[in-house]
Amino acid sequence: MSNQPREILGTRLERLDQMPTIPVILYPLLRYLEQPLDRLDLQEIVNLISQDESLASQCLHMANSPLFGLWQPVDSIRSAVALLGLQRMRDIATSCSLLKLLPAGAGEINPKVFWEHSLACALVARQFAHRIGFADAGKAYLGGLLHDLGIVAHLWIIPKQFQSAYALARTQGMPLHEAEMITLGATHSDTGKIVAERWRLTPDLVEVLSCHHNPSCASVRRDLVALISLSDLLCRMSGMGHGYVERRQVNFTEEPAFAILLEECPSLKTFDWARFTFELESHMEEVQRLVKVLYREPS
Amino acid sequence: MNRANATPARSLNFPVAPPSARLIQIRDLVYKVAGMFQPDSKLRLLESGCWKRMQVLGVTTLQDYHQCLIRMPACEAELVALLNEITVGETFFFRNQPQIDALRSVVLPRIVEAKSKTSNRHLRIWSAGCSTGEEAYTLSMVFREELAGQLQGWTFEVLATDLNQRSIVQAEQGLYGEYSTRHLSEHFRRKYFVSCGNNLQINADVKTFVKFSRLNFLDDASMALLADLDLIFCCNVLIYFHGAAKGRVVQHFYDNLLPHGYLFLGQSESLYGVNEDFHLVHMSSATAYVKSDALPVQL
Repeated sequence: MSNQPREILGTRLERLDQMPTIPVILYPLLRYLEQPLDRLDLQEIVNLISQDESLASQCLHMANSPLFGLWQPVDSIRSAVALLGLQRMRDIATSCSLLKLLPAGAGEINPKVFWEHSLACALVARQFAHRIGFADAGKAYLGGLLHDLGIVAHLWIIPKQFQSAYALARTQGMPLHEAEMITLGATHSDTGKIVAERWRLTPDLVEVLSCHHNPSCASVRRDLVALISLSDLLCRMSGMGHGYVERRQVNFTEEPAFAILLEECPSLKTFDWARFTFELESHMEEVQRLVKVLYREPS
Repeated sequence: MNRANATPARSLNFPVAPPSARLIQIRDLVYKVAGMFQPDSKLRLLESGCWKRMQVLGVTTLQDYHQCLIRMPACEAELVALLNEITVGETFFFRNQPQIDALRSVVLPRIVEAKSKTSNRHLRIWSAGCSTGEEAYTLSMVFREELAGQLQGWTFEVLATDLNQRSIVQAEQGLYGEYSTRHLSEHFRRKYFVSCGNNLQINADVKTFVKFSRLNFLDDASMALLADLDLIFCCNVLIYFHGAAKGRVVQHFYDNLLPHGYLFLGQSESLYGVNEDFHLVHMSSATAYVKSDALPVQL
């Protein structure tokens, strides 16, 4: 393995100069929503989201998706916030902000597959958390959404080198992080850690980004990392991965993440993986439709 | 900005209103007893099946119909009648493409590697509940293709059984109409079929690998004879077996498979709560069951 790509990666990561910073709206929004519920003002949230017209429009499309549990159409951010609640609206606004981070195109790679995967992972993580009695479903959504932030960084700062890694992964049907390690000498988990620290994400989220392919290295919130690790894998095994087929076989109960999560969530022992997989089928279809709408593709 | 132009369009298959609690109860009952799950995108099919049965029984509400499914003296027969409504009666070639893809890209390499350690270069595949033969011939064509690829120097046989003698006779004829052949690619159509009026006749090359016979899954002595299998395909048949009978059939499958063997069920079918020896494995967009003593093979 040549050290050159890793050196290039290291140099560029030092500056992260080609990657957009955390979207302007997201930062104040997340900070605002961290306050106790009784201090929050609905109009303030509406104003924050509405600052960016395209973000508001995307948020409204998402709010109208049954994935967020709203069965009546909404046509304004105000009614979306009122009907969905603050937690769901934060999830939606964060998801749309992540969409804005992706570059328009990267050679043969269509960046939309990464957003599609991230959104699917967020939804799966949230549902999985509810099913097994995991305490913080909101954090699970956020972790699922942001876990592959390192890939977004790769698309910006080392697009050509990343394309080589992606091509290797696709032709060999291997996990992307393994192909990155072969081609770049580092993975999107390594890069994700640096980006997360630079953005001052909370320590548990930093760990999700850096350890989701190796949950045993986590120490702050091992259960959260394990939950995201399994959700990520389930998406990749259910046709909602990184845009190619991984030629592998997975027994979820033998995954290291399973044993870690089992310590915190004993109900996982009798979890019906087959049923959960079948349930996700409908959600995956809706995620794909939503992505088409947000990317303005013909359906 | 408070308003944005968002069309509340939704996935065609995703429900447009929250499903009724009674329908969900019926879905859960069907899953618990028959092991077949109807995801949200197929709930309309379940609902329509329920309404058809309700008309026959003269029942007017889903609540009353749910009672029929659990309380009627012949509730098992009513469940079978409902299952007949929600499963497609006729089968077709290449019915489950993700399953075939997983077979070729993941399962076959693993079986070949496991068997390569012995002198046995012969594969035995069982199409259990083969109906009119579409699945058995699909498998024969796929394996026939692989004889020029990863199965060079190997031989195989497809054992195809069904309870219904008329289906067996039809399968042996190998004559198929438009419905059965609608998913056949041009390659398979030209290579393995000959035109016969408006129908397609399977050719001798494919037929020679398939052996049809009548078999009752509850005939323990006959079931025990089907030993040393590498693969079992049993699609939408186990749903008609309940309780101890189902457990017995599945145990036969387990005993009949070689240690590295695989059991494939129909889409949305599960063995949860039926058998604890089989282990669920996920491949890209497909699931299968393996024996707990399956040999670990590194790809």
